[in-house]
Amino acid sequence: MNYREKALVFHCAEDTLLGILSVPERAEDTGVVVIVGGPQYRAGSHRQFVLLSRALASAGYAVLRFDYRGMGDSSGDARDFLGANADVAAAIDAMQTHMPNVRNVVLWGLCDGASAALLYCDETSDERVAGLCLLNPWVRSDASLARTQVKHYYTQRLLQRDFWYKLFSGKVAMKALSGLLRNLQMSAGRSSPSQVAASFQQRMARAWSCFPGGILLLLSGKDYTAKEFLGYAQSDPAWQAAWRHPKLSRHDLPEADHTFSDGQARRMVEQLTSDWLQTQAPIDNAPRQAPLVQSS
Amino acid sequence: MSVQPNAFFLDTPGGPRFCQLYSAQGSIPRGMVLYVHPFTEEMNKSRRMAALQARALCAAGYTVLQFDLHGCGDSSGDFGDATWQGWVDDTVFAGQWLKAKSSAPLWLWGLRAGCLLAVEAAKSLGPCDLLFWAPTPSGKPLLQQFLRLKAAGDMVGGQAKVIMEGLRQQLAAGHAVEIAGYALSRGMAQGLEQAALIPLAHVRRVVWLELSTRPDASLTPVAVSTIAGWREAGVTLQPQIVNGPAFWQTTEIEEAPALIAATVASMSTPVDAVRDQATSLDMVT
Repeated sequence: MNYREKALVFHCAEDTLLGILSVPERAEDTGVVVIVGGPQYRAGSHRQFVLLSRALASAGYAVLRFDYRGMGDSSGDARDFLGANADVAAAIDAMQTHMPNVRNVVLWGLCDGASAALLYCDETSDERVAGLCLLNPWVRSDASLARTQVKHYYTQRLLQRDFWYKLFSGKVAMKALSGLLRNLQMSAGRSSPSQVAASFQQRMARAWSCFPGGILLLLSGKDYTAKEFLGYAQSDPAWQAAWRHPKLSRHDLPEADHTFSDGQARRMVEQLTSDWLQTQAPIDNAPRQAPLVQSS
Repeated sequence: MSVQPNAFFLDTPGGPRFCQLYSAQGSIPRGMVLYVHPFTEEMNKSRRMAALQARALCAAGYTVLQFDLHGCGDSSGDFGDATWQGWVDDTVFAGQWLKAKSSAPLWLWGLRAGCLLAVEAAKSLGPCDLLFWAPTPSGKPLLQQFLRLKAAGDMVGGQAKVIMEGLRQQLAAGHAVEIAGYALSRGMAQGLEQAALIPLAHVRRVVWLELSTRPDASLTPVAVSTIAGWREAGVTLQPQIVNGPAFWQTTEIEEAPALIAATVASMSTPVDAVRDQATSLDMVT
């Protein structure tokens, strides 16, 4: 399907944000808002978000990708994913203003963009958000990083013969040993309950568990961020309910790196997103077209 | 007050290209500035600095056009289909479009590989001034660095040389290679490899700004000899090393406020005032 691209300028508090809207010839009533993560602007690493938007627009979905305040071409002071709620709200508003027939919005985020999507839902419970596409969500804390390193690096290292050989011959530097010990201590540590209540990871878990729509989770095999997320979400009590989410679709891409930086991985993400959107649209629209009577 | 550019897609012979036009306040602009962005991820990382500089120049009375090349940023096309010559043509088209708007002096502002494109485009654009930010004096080392990304990714114990040779052979045979998410065509690799900051006599002046966080930084020997070549061609050249990070390659987005101030100050100094300037460099912090 043909599509066109339009530059949008919209406001968020005192600042102006720049976004690019990809408009399909015949748009579905679900639109996608891409939340950019990390040190990237709306095009994404190796233009991943440009190409994703074009692929989804070809499949009939309007897509808006934008720079939040202080990033890329948007004005304002630099900020990170923890302060992006007003920006996400402004983007959803902009999508609705320019695409009046779009009734549902799916938030699509990679890395801390995925975290920002969940934090937005936790803060606002915005009913316009009908679905979440979360890729390699960012949950890093000192403890989770230490646990990931212990699990995936040191475990492997401890099984290697030359490590023990070097250790006994005194060739393992004290620095490396003390790093291991520090990591072991930190990985065993638990945050106090008051810290837990306030942490962004816990708010992400709460948003995930309470989210009424579908969730697409994509995880890269060659990515510490994804491993850390899995480690965290499988061990932390707050995430147990999240894993049982009835509308969770999870796909692992063992050969992909953090940003899906080869053509094959990138195309798989485009395809998985597009396929998932197709399965979502009718379910999420059904109650709005004809309210269902509760049978029990 | 924040300056708001006009964002639009410009129709070019090669397809729609994403543009942002920061129009100078007031009646007659002091200059018309075309920003030529760097190569691949360097372009992404420097987007914030380019926007900050464009706003500062606009406030200082310049009109600035930010333009995404074929297959880059929000412009049409795939990176893998873009060629170096196509990028030169894009730059010339954007320069002519900007020139048609005003008779104020034309500036081509390049960052890294963007400086190489600016020089090639300047051949077709007539008299103009050049602003170089951390220029790469030739494209060859840049291509080499880019190919090394692939070699580093694929390397299994000392195979880098073999992999590099393989990549070059693939390119020479006309096949694209995919590196860090970018498909590099032969047309792009060849053009980049041959590009250099060859002096042009019709350029009025060059503002050459480098960045360093070390107080004792000096220009590289390649930069010194390139600058000498431009001066021999009769071009007024202002080199300066400014305090700041190499923001086009840092992990997080970084800003270099001293560079923004030095850029506005250098461009605003009349050519006569800088002609015959000594070659010594003052570190600006």
